[in-house]
Amino acid sequence: MSVEFSSLTFRYPGADGDALRNVSTAFEPGQVTLVTGALGSGCSTLLLAAAGLVPHVTGGKCTGTITTLRHDPASPEGRRVLAGRVGTLLPTPWTQLSGMSYTVGEEVAFGPANLGWSRDRIAHAVSSALDLVGAATLIARDPRTLSGGELQRVMLAAIVAMDPEVYLLDEPTLELDPVGARTVYRLLPEIAREKTVVLASTDVDRAVDVVGRVVVLDRGQVVADGSPDAVLGIPGAVASGRSTTVAELARTAGLKPPYPLSVPAAVERLAS
Amino acid sequence: MTALRFEDVWFGYGDTPVLHGVSLSLEEGETVALLGRNGAGKTTLTKLIVALLRPERGTVWVGERTTQGRSPEQVARRVAYVFQHPDQQLFARTVHAEVAFGPRQQGLDAAAAELVVREALRRVGLDAMREEHPYDLPAAQRKLVTLGAAIAQRPRVLVLDEPTQGLDRAGARRVMDVVRRMSEDGVTVLAVTHDLAFVAESLDRAVVLADGRIVFDGTAAELVRSEPRAMELGLEVPPAARLAQALKLPQAPVRVRDVAAALTARGRD
Repeated sequence: MSVEFSSLTFRYPGADGDALRNVSTAFEPGQVTLVTGALGSGCSTLLLAAAGLVPHVTGGKCTGTITTLRHDPASPEGRRVLAGRVGTLLPTPWTQLSGMSYTVGEEVAFGPANLGWSRDRIAHAVSSALDLVGAATLIARDPRTLSGGELQRVMLAAIVAMDPEVYLLDEPTLELDPVGARTVYRLLPEIAREKTVVLASTDVDRAVDVVGRVVVLDRGQVVADGSPDAVLGIPGAVASGRSTTVAELARTAGLKPPYPLSVPAAVERLAS
Repeated sequence: MTALRFEDVWFGYGDTPVLHGVSLSLEEGETVALLGRNGAGKTTLTKLIVALLRPERGTVWVGERTTQGRSPEQVARRVAYVFQHPDQQLFARTVHAEVAFGPRQQGLDAAAAELVVREALRRVGLDAMREEHPYDLPAAQRKLVTLGAAIAQRPRVLVLDEPTQGLDRAGARRVMDVVRRMSEDGVTVLAVTHDLAFVAESLDRAVVLADGRIVFDGTAAELVRSEPRAMELGLEVPPAARLAQALKLPQAPVRVRDVAAALTARGRD
């Protein structure tokens, strides 16, 4: 297991309720895992916990254990060992800029350079990461002049460049237009073949095409965990509004569960 | 009644021309999507409405008055503007104070403002959050706070920049309800958006800008149905409309409830 939570309960400083309640689950390579739920369910908090930012940076009250690549990510040793091995992308990419780069190329090189890589290795990592996310043409731009969508691609490249073992992606396409979002989502299964990729998103309609597993949080608790069909294709998921638009339509049309989740799956069931 | 009118409006930043003679007219109660790729001039157009920018040539009319010689504060009596990122406009210490700012500035006394604020918070589903500090709320709820503040301004024209971005489905539904209610009350809504599901569900009309010119002006459904046009804009036909097309449902519906009705009818045949 590359990330494992055991009976994790966490409360932000000053909060009235727990952000995570007794969460025991694990993430591993091989498929993209979607963590989803209504806003405020704790999806982002779970990613921050895997990264060691909760509770180390946020403060708050925490019980249970978090293990990332066999270390407590918030421990001094964990932080040292995990630098560069865990990549976290926040939904607000402008808050992740180093503030120390005049060009996109420098910004993407920031992580690898801090890992002490050789010049050649850094240059190669930067250009292939920018290529992968479709941002190669931005390499000489000043990061502070980029649009939200451009910046989000660049910050994803900054993570890819470090070649981490764990990708923690919180709404990684929020700033992108839909076609751009689709192209980024399509990269994820490829990355997940060898890496652990956790995607937190409420955009189930788009995510469902690329994820192999879905974990649903509700008020800080894991309420469902399994394949997309098993978790999202059932009447309860549709009734509670956490499934896809297509599943909702299939249910209205009187299909029997498991409901198809995507347009092609629905066409297959309905065309006959 | 025309609520908003652009008459041959030209605008540029320095030597970079942005709008090339835009003419556009929006009626009272009309709900309009403004679409286009990055740099097409969408935000520029909305800033001209609220007098944050001034046309180089041509005239912008809000109701029966032009924006010429009027300050953003004066225009704000008729037009409410909700930014894409709430943190660009939130400033008060509580949700309540944030939403009450507009009506108080408009001269309402505390009691009258309270009624307006209560209704606005109810519509965006934040009644229980009134004493919270806006920055203690998650980003999506901060966004709804700014929408609530706009409602409380009781505008004749509501300009929204990416109103559904970052919201979950429940939040997006709130925005859709707000837009529908505002329109029923005769408010004109202009929304810059990349979300064709939102366009399909809540807006009547779609206007597409490219290189500072209007290249499409038609019904929202017509735009949403057109895969090539959507692709050109970097947009995607939403799942309900795609399913309707794939199954060749009669009249190619685009709204979820219309597609559902067509599917149910088809099931009965």
